[in-house]
Order: sequence, then C-alpha cells, then structure tokens
Amino acid sequence: MSMTVFQAMNGATFAALLFIVASGFTLIFGLMRIVNLAHGALYLMGGYFGLVVAHRTDSFTLALAAAALAVAAIGFGTYTLLLRFVGGNVLRQVLLTLGLALVLDDLALVIWGGDAFTVPIPEALRGPVQVGSLVYPKYRLFLLLFSVAVFIGLALLLRHTRLGALIRAGVDDAEMVDAMGIDIQRVFVYTFMLGAALAGIGGVLGGAFLTLYPTADSDILVFSLAVVIIGGRGSLAGTAIGSLFVGMLATFGQVWFPELAYFVIFGPMALLLAFRPLGLFGRTA
Amino acid sequence: MLEITNLHAAYGDAQVLRGVSMRVDKGRIVALLGRNGMGKTTLIRSVMGMTPPHVRQGSVTFQGQELRGLRPHEIAQRHIGLVPQGRRLFASLTVTEHLTMLGRAARHRSQWSVARLFELFPRLGERRQHRGHQLSGGERQMLAVARALTQNPELLLMDEPSEGLAPVMVQHLERTVLELRQLGYAILLVEQNLYSALAVADEAYILETGSIVHHAPVDALRHDRPTMHRFLGV
Ligand SMILES: Nc1ncnc2c1ncn2[C@@H]1O[C@H](COP(=O)(O)OP(=O)(O)OP(=O)(O)O)[C@@H](O)[C@H]1O
Ligand SMILES: [Mg+2]
Repeated sequence: MSMTVFQAMNGATFAALLFIVASGFTLIFGLMRIVNLAHGALYLMGGYFGLVVAHRTDSFTLALAAAALAVAAIGFGTYTLLLRFVGGNVLRQVLLTLGLALVLDDLALVIWGGDAFTVPIPEALRGPVQVGSLVYPKYRLFLLLFSVAVFIGLALLLRHTRLGALIRAGVDDAEMVDAMGIDIQRVFVYTFMLGAALAGIGGVLGGAFLTLYPTADSDILVFSLAVVIIGGRGSLAGTAIGSLFVGMLATFGQVWFPELAYFVIFGPMALLLAFRPLGLFGRTA
Repeated sequence: MLEITNLHAAYGDAQVLRGVSMRVDKGRIVALLGRNGMGKTTLIRSVMGMTPPHVRQGSVTFQGQELRGLRPHEIAQRHIGLVPQGRRLFASLTVTEHLTMLGRAARHRSQWSVARLFELFPRLGERRQHRGHQLSGGERQMLAVARALTQNPELLLMDEPSEGLAPVMVQHLERTVLELRQLGYAILLVEQNLYSALAVADEAYILETGSIVHHAPVDALRHDRPTMHRFLGV
C-alpha cells in the first residue's frame, strides 16, 4: 500500500517536471504553431548551464536564474535569426528545429562529454521528510510546489497582463492582432523566449534528480509532446492534466510493465486521440 | 487621403486584382461594390499589407505616404482601422480586453477611450466581461467597429459590415457609419448589401473580376438601372 502511495508521489513529481517543460512547449506551439523539436535540447542546455553555475557559485537559485536567462537568449537567437524566416512552413520548421536539436546535443557532448551529471541541490532540500506515515525526498516535494507556483504565475500572466491578453489574442488570430497595430512578431519573440526559459528551468530542476547526459533531451521531448497532444495545444489546464496523466503512466508503467513502459503511455494516448482528436482541452483553430 | 493606383495583386499564379485605381477622400464614404469573388476583400487586404495576396504592381498611398511594403501593424499605426469580413473577434478576450489591447501610450493618444466607446455602443458596456464568442451577431459587429476605433483611425476599412445582421441592426450600423462621417472620418465600405451602401455612401466603385468597371456618385447610381443590373445583378 505505502509502496503504491510512494509510486504515486513519484508520478506526481515527475508530472511536475513535465508540466514546467511542457508549458513552455505548449505556449510556443499554441501561439505560433511551431512544433519546437529543439525544446528537449533547450532543457538539456539549461541543465548544463545550471550545473556550471551551481558548481561555481554554490547557489541553486542563481543556477535557475542563469539557466533561464541563457536559454531565453538561445531562444531569442533561434527565433530572430532562424525561425522567423521560414514563416508558416511546417516542414521547414520541423527540419530547422530538429537540426538545431542535433547541433546543441553535439555541442553539449563536446563541452561536457558523455558522463552523467547531477546538479547539486542546496543543503536545505536534501534528505527525506516525513509526511504522515510517508517518508519522502524533500527535493521532490519542493519540485511539486515549484510547479504549482509556475502554474499560478503563468495563469496570472495570461489572464491579467497585457502581454497575456496579446498571447491569447494571438492564439485566436495572430494576423488580426497585427492588423490592430501591434507588432505580432514581438509578441512571438517574447513568447518564444518565455517558453525556452521554462525549458531551461526544467533542465536545472530535472538535472538535480534525473541526471544529465547527452541524450536526456529526447526522452523529455517525447514526453512533452505526449503531454501537449493529450492536453490540447495552448491550454494551461490541459497541460497540467496531460502532465499528470503522462507522469503517472510513465511511473507506474515502469514499475508494473517495465518492458512496455513506452506503450503504457502511447497506447492510451492513441486511444484518447481516437475519441478527442484535439486533446482533452483542444479547441479548433 | 487614400489613393490606390494601378494595383495588381495575386494569390500565387492566380491574378485577382488587375490594375485597380480608386481614391477615398477625407469625410467621404466610398462604397466598393461587386459580386462574390470579384476581389473586394483582396483589395482591402492589399491596402492593409496583409499577405496573401501579394501585390505585384501599383501603389497605395495614404496622406501622400506609400504603404506598399509596410507590415500590417505599421499601416494600422498610421491610423487606418480595419473592420474585417467575418468580424474576426478574439474568442478568448473579453469585450474590455478587445478595447485595451493597444499599449497605454497609444490609447492615451486616441480620442476613443473605452468609456467613450461604451457611450457610442451602450450594449457593449453592459457586456464588458463577455468574451467574443458569447456575443450576439449585432454585438459582435459593434465590437468589431469599436475595436477598429481604438486605433484612432482617420480612415476606416469596413468589409461587409452588414453581413448576417438583422435589418434593425443594419440600420443601427448605418447610423453609426453616418455619425463617423460627421466626425470627419473617411470610410471605404465594401458591401454586398446594395441598399445599405446606397443609403450611406457618397460615391461608389464597382469591381468586376479584378477591375473597376464603374465609378459614380451614389445619387447617379441609384437611378442607373442598367449599370446596377449588369454588374450587381439587381
Ligand atoms: N487565400 C486565397 N488563396 C487563393 N485564392 C483566393 C484566396 N482568397 C481569395 N481567393 C480568390 O480570389 C478571388 C477574390 O476573392 P475575394 O475574397 O477578394 O472576393 P470578394 O469580392 O471579397 O468576395 P465576397 O463578396 O464573397 O467576400 C476569388 O476568386 C477567391 O476564390
Ligand atoms: Mg469579401
């Protein structure tokens, strides 16, 4: 019994990490219809940047901030130098972001080598904590709270700020936002940077308990894709529920059917899509 | 004010506008008439810098400045307001959010505060927290016009604003358009609803397969049965 609770907690905390990464993915996908296949690589870069800064400064907070900024900067470059020139051409977007993912991966391999690293976490978050009868790692609980904070922060941004209103309007009809006298490309750039920063933050948070290694990005990317497909594009609540769904299935799948771990996620996903092609919260464009 | 000269526009290889020339002066309501698929929306999109279509030749000037090559937001910022065909409201924005999308500075410069827009359209004021998709057809059209006014436009481009409206809403719209002219606006009004266009416009152009085939004051057109029959099928 308590083993099941323990696994459920593991599922929830993995879901928390997925939510942080996938919310960035869905923001970009929802507004710009760009399937950013480099999102996993941005996660990995964030993890490595965080690793370097955490070792240099001994500060986890600085590591998070540095990773967010550095990966947002990569996002800025990617969008303004590359993506904006391919327009709405999906094939070119896919090839471009896939190419970028490969380049970033190789770069990481050259700089950091093939070893697995773990981002050091502060003393205060180490060790277990007792919750009722359950003994559980403190860090994972912190991750859960962090993801709730990210959810609330993003919800407030989208609901109550002008940028948030512009992002929502852009999801509905980007051309019309531009015809209103608002430079939609600027909204796109900000959103792309925000989405990239979330991947970078996810890299640091994930790198502290899943370890970082050169192909860690493809797992995270595949899981993020599943989250967004299940939740429906551009929906925050959908992303949260999709994350829980995927997080739980991944965790329990690995325990119960280790050989079928991927099928346990993508089987139900295919079934769900058969009945709700736009995902749980998807709306038609 | 707005001067279109020898405009050619195409979607890929499909040439839609073939040398359109027309002008809209300050304080005038100019109707652009023509049957379905003749290129009216294509003309509006070309003026607004929206792509597709791609403008191949010709020029569009507003207050003497060339608009061709500018992006839509740059054109809008020169005080051109668009009421697009089909309204194109934002489904996830409330009425108030539609009217406060522009930055504070731009809104400050505009003579159309949210309060003043709610004075012009009291129904919108009562529904300020509703979202675009929760409004009736008439309310949607009011919001589309109000949204264009936040631009503080000197020229309004209206693409079939009466489409799908009940007769009483069409009359309300006509009154609004006339009020705006009183305030000195120039309006380019695309209409299928000939009678609505004749009721408010000062002059009319008729577009037929991508070319202007007729231009006349509305008073003359009203009595010109053969022209109306030939190009508009009435
Ligand atoms: N995006 C597009 N791609 C290709 N062809 C288009 C596109 N939009 C319009 N067309 C074609 O261009 C021609 C003119 O279309 P347009 O929408 O300008 O007509 P319209 O006069 O506004 O018609 P309506 O009164 O029905 O709105 C039509 O033949 C149409 O099929
Ligand atoms: Mg049209």
